[in-house]
Order: sequence, then C-alpha cells, then structure tokens
Amino acid sequence: MPFLFACAGLAGCVTATVQEVRETATAMGAGDSIVVLGRRSQPTTAETELDFISCVADNMGRGQNALNVVNEQQFLDATFPWFEPRIAPLNHTELPTIIKQAPLAERLDEMGLKYLVWIEGSTQRIDSGGSLSCVVGPGGGGCFGFLSWEKDSSYEASVWDVETGQAAGKISSEATGMSYMPAVIVPIPMIARVRSSACSSLANQLKSFVVN
Amino acid sequence: MPERFAKCALIAALVLAAFGCAGAKVAVPTGFPVPQVTKVPLPVGLYLDEALLSYVHRESLEQRGDWEIELGSAQEPMFDNLLSGLFIGHRTVKQLGASHDDIAGVLAPSIEELQFSIPEQTRSEYYEVWIRYRFELHANDGEKLGQWDLTAYGKAHQQNHAGASAALQSAALVACRDAMAFFTQQFGRVPVVQTWLDIELGGSA
Repeated sequence: MPFLFACAGLAGCVTATVQEVRETATAMGAGDSIVVLGRRSQPTTAETELDFISCVADNMGRGQNALNVVNEQQFLDATFPWFEPRIAPLNHTELPTIIKQAPLAERLDEMGLKYLVWIEGSTQRIDSGGSLSCVVGPGGGGCFGFLSWEKDSSYEASVWDVETGQAAGKISSEATGMSYMPAVIVPIPMIARVRSSACSSLANQLKSFVVN
Repeated sequence: MPERFAKCALIAALVLAAFGCAGAKVAVPTGFPVPQVTKVPLPVGLYLDEALLSYVHRESLEQRGDWEIELGSAQEPMFDNLLSGLFIGHRTVKQLGASHDDIAGVLAPSIEELQFSIPEQTRSEYYEVWIRYRFELHANDGEKLGQWDLTAYGKAHQQNHAGASAALQSAALVACRDAMAFFTQQFGRVPVVQTWLDIELGGSA
C-alpha cells in the first residue's frame, strides 16, 4: 500500500494512499491498448469528473512505461452503443456476451484493446472554516482574514481483461489535503492539489499493474 | 451618465452570470456515431417531417430566465447514422403513405415531448434532459403497421462544463445518443417490428 505525503512551496499538504487487489496476471504487448472510462450509469447520482478521467488517461500515456491509451470519447464512438450509460456492462461477467457481437469485436480488434478500466469516485470538499473580507475604497483596497478547507478524493479503478472477459483487479486511490488562504492586504492561497495527487497516484499504479 | 449606465449594466451582467439566471440557448451538435451491430438484411425508408427537422424547445423558468434547446438540425444526421448501422441500406422518403418498391418499410420518428431540469430546480448537480420520441412503422405499400414510444434521458454534471449552456447542450446530446442506443437495443423486441421482420425476412428474423 504505497503512502505519499506531499507538501511543497506555497501549496497545501496532501496525503495520498493507493491500494491494489489483483485477481489475474496481466501483461501488455506491443500493439496492445487500454482505455479509461468513467462510470456514468443511470440513475447514479455520483459521476466521476471528466477531467479526472482524462488526467488518468494522459498520465498513463506518457512518461516511463507509457501505454497506448485510447481516447475515451473515440472509444465510445467506435464501440457505440455498447458502452453508453443505458447499455454499458455493470459487471465483468456481462463482458463476454457483449464482445461476441461481430461488429464490436472487429472494432476492439482494430484498436488492439487489451484492458478496459472503469473509474468511479469523486473529490468532495469535506470541511471548511475561517472568514475573509475585502474592502475597496478610493485610495485602494485590501483583504484581511484566514480561510481553510479540506478536500477528500476517493476513486476506484476496476480493470477488466477484454480478451478473457475476466476482472484483472482493482486499484483504489484516496487523497486528502487541507488548503489555506491567509490574507493581510493580499490573499495568499496555499492550495492542496488533492485531485491531481489522486490522479497521478492512480495512473502510476495502473501503469505498473497492467504491465505487471 | 452613460459611464454610470455602463457600470450598472456590467454589474447586472456579472450578477446574472454569477447566479445563472440568464437561461441558455443551445443547439445539439450534429456529430453522431454509427451503431456497431449486426445489420438487419433489409433496406428501409426514413421519413423526417418538417416539425421534427425544425424542433425547438423553449421554456421560461421562474427567476431562472429563458431556455432554448434546438434539436431539429441534429435529427437528420442522427437518424441517418442510426439506420446506417441497423440496416443494410436506407434512403429518405418525401411522404408517408406512398408505395415504394425498393424498400421494405418506412420509419417515421417524431418528438412528442421534451423536458429538462437545471440543478437549481432539482437541488442536484446535474442538468437533465428527457426526450419522448414516437416511432411509426409503415409497410412499403404505405400502410401504417403501428407505433411505439421511446423515452431517452441525458444528464451532465455541472462541474464538468463551463457554464449552463455547455452543460445543457451536453445533457441534450447525451439524451440523443441514449435515444439511438435505446432504439438499437429495443428495436427487435417491439411487437410490431417483430411481426414486420417475420414477414419481410420470411420467418428468419
């Protein structure tokens, strides 16, 4: 269970943890690709942020051991309508039936899709306090006070093997961080990059998970 | 005086923008995917009437401004792509009730109702759109075989979009895609369609 504690410069502090559960062996060869999808099933009230999905996909597609990551929207269009909210498989046991559909199987084959990653979760503000007031007058203006707020990110990625139709494993990423904004004339924000930290932790773990 | 008026107008605009009271006017984008399913081995006709092609939903919400969703211009590409994926061939027909030798039947969609909601109404974080389509199926001799309704749904989280217009447009687009997905999934299970397919395919459907 990797544990990260990040605190730098004028930024707030973030504590991040990543946990991994493996169910089957994984490997990616040359020409294999992976796609990262946000779970948007109806009528769920929680939806993962679009920029979090693209952040994870971007991070997996660059740097050391960069993977061939298929763009989420391009994937949804190419495989339409099988991964639309109304039809998308909720469980990996539904995957074999879907991927048997001839036109879909051809599209997946063209992409070289090996793994499908479903991401669920979100970032929430869980606490806030303090007060800050600003005044503007003819001779200038300024702010005085102190604000603080805490955010919590909680995401889970389920990895499905498209070839075998089995669940390969799950990775969860949690991050919490407190941001501060003291103000003596000028407000100085010290923002904890909670979601960004959860994104990079999850992407790095996913990368190492699929290449085994 | 004009300077003071301009300042007031700017403040009013900022307040409206900040509280989202200004409403929105959106048009659904016209790019749709083609369903990746096994095609029905029949050519069909598609009839899109003027009411569908010019469909605009306008609604005033108390203290939330005027809202407009333009769906009409998206209908032709949407149904064109839908039928491209579902049937081996399709073409548009200019009138319902006429006889056509080169197609097995004619599909005529219409929008019966559109509803939407904004986060301020539902105390949620979503813009939501519901579209109730009605589909008529006509035989190639022009006879109406039957009709059925389909309600599509789309939602868009406000945090994923820069402003009410973008979120509402996204919710409407998701609803259109849902209509395509639902139609693709449901089509073969509609009793009138099953009967028609049995006749046209000689019981092999």
